[in-house]
Amino acid sequence: MTSLSVADCTVSFGGLKAINDLTLAIPSGTITALIGPNGSGKSTFCNMVSGQIPPNVGTILLDGVSIRGLRPDQIVAAGLARTYQVPRVPKELTIGEVIGVPLRYVRSGRDLPRKMQTAADVARFCGLSLPLDMPCADLSISDLRRLEIARALACKPHVLLLDEAMAGLSLADTEQVIALVREVHAAGITVVVIEHVMRIIAALCGHAAVLNNGRLLAEASPAVVLRDPAVREAYLGKGFAP
Amino acid sequence: MMGLSGRLLTYIAVAVSFVAVAMSGNGFFIQAALGIAISAILALSWDILSRTGQVSLGQSAFFGIGAYGSGILTPVIGAVFGWIVGILLCAVAAILIGLVTLRLRRLYFTIATLSFGLSMQVLIVMTPRITGGSTGIMPPVIMGASPSAQLMLITGFLIVSAIVSDIFLGDRFRPAFFMIRNNPALAASSGVPVVKTKILAFAVSGMIAGIAGACYAGLYGYVIPEDVFTPNWSVLPLAVSILGGMDTTLGPILGAVVLRVLEEVARHFVGGAGYQVVYGAVIIVFIIILPKGLVGGLTQLFRKRTRKAAPVAPAEAAS
Repeated sequence: MTSLSVADCTVSFGGLKAINDLTLAIPSGTITALIGPNGSGKSTFCNMVSGQIPPNVGTILLDGVSIRGLRPDQIVAAGLARTYQVPRVPKELTIGEVIGVPLRYVRSGRDLPRKMQTAADVARFCGLSLPLDMPCADLSISDLRRLEIARALACKPHVLLLDEAMAGLSLADTEQVIALVREVHAAGITVVVIEHVMRIIAALCGHAAVLNNGRLLAEASPAVVLRDPAVREAYLGKGFAP
Repeated sequence: MMGLSGRLLTYIAVAVSFVAVAMSGNGFFIQAALGIAISAILALSWDILSRTGQVSLGQSAFFGIGAYGSGILTPVIGAVFGWIVGILLCAVAAILIGLVTLRLRRLYFTIATLSFGLSMQVLIVMTPRITGGSTGIMPPVIMGASPSAQLMLITGFLIVSAIVSDIFLGDRFRPAFFMIRNNPALAASSGVPVVKTKILAFAVSGMIAGIAGACYAGLYGYVIPEDVFTPNWSVLPLAVSILGGMDTTLGPILGAVVLRVLEEVARHFVGGAGYQVVYGAVIIVFIIILPKGLVGGLTQLFRKRTRKAAPVAPAEAAS
């Protein structure tokens, strides 16, 4: 069963096809890695399915229902949430207010996982042990990353896209966020992880899809795709792949 | 934002001060207070919109539509309905203009609102049969032309505008507005219907600016396009809000008072037209010293005081 699937999708920026006739299905209930060299279309994929940059052609289904052409807020209401690579939150808002926005605005029949109710519950679940009335201006990068995951979780998604949620974190912080992603997954949410660090992908994901030049290059378990000569060549260039 | 008791205290303090002036019977102070109340209402309208990141230079358009709408309709359908319909016209205009312009980014939106204000003036001049064209209209003066009664009524409108402003500083709107201002993509990804929310802010802002315009028309009993659609009514609310403190309710009110005091003091000491230069310079100095406005500056001062009074606090925060 698939939760999120795209078929024959293309996103063009002028002459460049950032997503080029892509067909990809994210199996329900997995932690799937979306990997690929820089410029392969990972972030565009994220922007495309979350409604920020609609595809020129193609279909996007979430649990079998088309979400193509919906506004970003409608896609969130349909059950697909995403985090941003650079968490830019208004610094005058507090932790509680940021988590409160999706809690208040995302209209869906769904509940938060693990019987969570309030912003405080979500913050605690995400390991944000700071007071809810703390302004975002005072947060460290690792707390901002946690807050971004908390905000996305407060959208009550069943599919969660994490766009490099661990970039720039220390080893210890990364371990904690990996543990958090596992808990999110254990709460019944399908997770898509966009990541560069192979160690994280190998530790976290049961399934990996590799993009290159906006197309699907390979799809299998992380161990298998990382041994794939085509994948190695995409990352390292022709002739350099061992 | 302040708690309910703090807000009530603010409303009462503002109402009491204005009513005291109204009761004083001093003509000069009453006229000054009328001007202050109108600029405060207009500044609140500007500030509410600015919280979504939209810097409007077109508040004069809504000010003028409110003035003309209420002024033309009052003789036809009575003062109450004339004002209501006049103010609703502002909302309709805001929604129509908003549908087109709120998709524009920041500066482009500002330019669009500026041209909207200017084009309204042309529209009035071109439709003399309905609007009196460049000769203007003469709406009935409100409250039997009694300045103290007028001030009481307009103080009521100021308090209403302050309450609306506080609603938009509440939990439901403040975080969403600031998120739209700071990062619209993040707001959309948090379930906020960005364009709809901006249009709501624009419509409410337009209606409150319309109230200010209707008050103006009702005070002077004479409206010509050059008076209400002048860019002055677009720039004034911006100056007042920045001076007093943006993103607050008290800021635009306090800013309107201080700006008027500055103006009178400058007029007294410099006189002629030169006073405007001095008054402009003082505003610039104020903005440099207090970038968060008077309210922001006072809040900071207050925080410093309380921190000094309680030296234990930083140690607790660090542990």
